[in-house]
Amino acid sequence: MPSNSLLRRRRVALFLVLCVVALAVLTAQLRAPDQRRLGWAGLAVEIVLAPITDAAAYVGNTLGGAWSALHEIGSLRTENARLAAEVAALRQENAGLRPAAQENDRLRALLGFKQQQPFATVAAAVIGRDPSQWFSSVLVDRGSRAGVRRNDPAVTADGLVGHVIEVGPGWSRVLLLLDPRSAVGIVVTRSREPGVAEGQGQPALRIRYLARDADVQPGDQIVTSGLGEIFPKNLVVGTVLGVSRGAGDMFQEAVVRPSADLFHLEELLIIVRGGFPTAQ
Amino acid sequence: MIRAGVYVALTAVAAVVQVTWLSGFHPGGGGVDLLLLVVMSVGLLHGPEEGTLIGAGGGLLQDVVNGVPIGLGLGANLCAGFCAGIGEGRLYLEDIWLPALAGFALTLVRNAVWIGIGHLAGVVSVAPLAVARVVVLSACYNGVVAMPVFYWFRRMDRALERTFMRAR
Repeated sequence: MPSNSLLRRRRVALFLVLCVVALAVLTAQLRAPDQRRLGWAGLAVEIVLAPITDAAAYVGNTLGGAWSALHEIGSLRTENARLAAEVAALRQENAGLRPAAQENDRLRALLGFKQQQPFATVAAAVIGRDPSQWFSSVLVDRGSRAGVRRNDPAVTADGLVGHVIEVGPGWSRVLLLLDPRSAVGIVVTRSREPGVAEGQGQPALRIRYLARDADVQPGDQIVTSGLGEIFPKNLVVGTVLGVSRGAGDMFQEAVVRPSADLFHLEELLIIVRGGFPTAQ
Repeated sequence: MIRAGVYVALTAVAAVVQVTWLSGFHPGGGGVDLLLLVVMSVGLLHGPEEGTLIGAGGGLLQDVVNGVPIGLGLGANLCAGFCAGIGEGRLYLEDIWLPALAGFALTLVRNAVWIGIGHLAGVVSVAPLAVARVVVLSACYNGVVAMPVFYWFRRMDRALERTFMRAR
């Protein structure tokens, strides 16, 4: 039977050893291009958990749909008390069809966008989302079996979403533009001024390395420059909200609102490498 | 062994629930960290060693599942598990407010370590005011949710103990 002081020392030693392991693992991650390197064990865990996540997301969406339908029925009753059952039933039916119609609109827009693009794309549904407030990535239900590869860009009809950083057989993880690890080469459409759009863990992107005398104004549209071999040229990134430049700064910076709604992603298109002209 | 298996399964379930059902629940910017509450319960009931190990395992799993740089959650949750474990034998576990206070305090500890390590490594750069608001809000949510989670966990733990004794 170990004595109390021995036990205490063992606990502290375990704690310190694990702290050192955590720091070592994190430091090793920083050397990876996306500041994240998943070993075979991590991939195995994701492969096991991805179908469970998929099923949980399905259950969650179904329950969420039922809950919102119930909620809507309650509000309709209050609103239309004197019109009684007939109107309530019609509204209920309407409420049931609305999500389908919205989904139809989104998919139609996505299909239209897909047909306009010269790239080969794979449509994917979002099945999981990073719950932390400071990083932004989503898990989608298409992986290497569908032809998705690491670094493939992801888009919606509204614009660029991010790029794939991990791929499993039936799932992939997309790093969103807002993530601090994300950086995209861009140009300002009107003046063709180049820069780099970086995520900052907040709803807006920051454009860095704009020349000091660059002609950039609020309202300007930002598109990808095609440099860097990840993102094809001319994908819409967002709109400039404001420009700032300090007295002694060598560069200007701009704040940009992403065109795609990154907080309510449900479906997206992944541009697979076969259709990406610069990678061919 | 059975208990360890159950804890690992619970940790995995908490991580999946976190990434699917709870990922969209961020009123005011804060959110519930179910995995932290599991780590807290293990630490309070079984001491620093188990708290640290489950914290490290759960944090690693959280990093893998969430897509964040691996090591952040590992470090943060193992510290939270160790701190919770220190309370074992020292705190009166029957106190109705204990889980709420522990949930609140451990959220502060976990996030302070998480952001501290992130800053040190250069992967997290956030404004202090925004951090403080989000962390305090998350701590309040965790404090509220910690009460049912801890009492459910303790009942399950006792049931496991009884089954274990009977099997002997």
